[in-house]
Amino acid sequence: MFKELDPILHSQLRLAIMSLLISVKEAEFTFIREKTNATAGNLSVQVQKLKDAGYIEVIKQFKDNYPQTTCKVTPAGLKAFEDYVKALQQYLKV
Amino acid sequence: MANETKFSEQESLQLIAEMIKKAKGSYHDTGIGSLLWGTVVSVASLMSYLQREYDFTLAIDIWWLVFAAIVPQVYIAIKEKNNVKAKQYDDDLVNAVWLVFGISIFGLSCYQNIVPVQTERLIAEEGWTMMKHFSDGRPDEVIRPFTPSLYSVYILIYAFPTMVTGMVKKFNPMKIGAIITYGLFIFSLFTESKYDMLLGSASALVCWFIPGIILRKKYLAQTSPNV
Repeated sequence: MFKELDPILHSQLRLAIMSLLISVKEAEFTFIREKTNATAGNLSVQVQKLKDAGYIEVIKQFKDNYPQTTCKVTPAGLKAFEDYVKALQQYLKV
Repeated sequence: MANETKFSEQESLQLIAEMIKKAKGSYHDTGIGSLLWGTVVSVASLMSYLQREYDFTLAIDIWWLVFAAIVPQVYIAIKEKNNVKAKQYDDDLVNAVWLVFGISIFGLSCYQNIVPVQTERLIAEEGWTMMKHFSDGRPDEVIRPFTPSLYSVYILIYAFPTMVTGMVKKFNPMKIGAIITYGLFIFSLFTESKYDMLLGSASALVCWFIPGIILRKKYLAQTSPNV
């Protein structure tokens, strides 16, 4: 019986964001935008969806008088990502 | 990158691998810190050796140069922290190791300067003196307490954070530098203390200066707009 893929993660940009954030402790919004080549608007929407799902934590603060948004994966996000990869492996029999 | 495009499981795995690779490849040390410390420790050690070998003194203690280097280091650390857009999991560990290294070096320099003075005081209180007695008939000389061949311990400590950083960051030049420094430490156990200074200078070159040049080249290559 195949496990259903998490619809929150099975989206190209959201999966890219999660894969990036899994690899680092935390990352600035600009870093994620640079690595995913996404537009700021699109990225904001997807980051918000991941935040609403409880998969990432978004910290908004000011640095040198400029707004700075930092994202990091939550334990729930880590678990969801692990489950997603396991499900993928089941599908692909790897 | 489209957000809701349908994509296969195979593409999902490829995307995960690609993003992880991108995130890992984003780390680059500027190398300035390594170059700074490699230079000052190497110069201070070499100058200490030359002073003892050729018996001359400078207007100031050359090791103040090392303490003075803390100021640009703090500036570099703040500037680099502000430029970092993604924090790696092992950054805190590496920073902690270098902080402990700094504290240990400071503690060791306190030991080196305080213990002989205190020993001399305690000996004087007890009413005895350490003497150097020559077997060839020359007159005895009073010895002031000192910590023999302490620079060997410094060399040993230089290798420690370098090896940890090399292992954690998988950076071979630092691992090789640390291994060479462990060898220099063993060699220093058999040499006169003035040559330990020379070995210390070589340690600073292999531990920090040479890896610093490599890091700097990598950094400039990664941040170059033409690449």
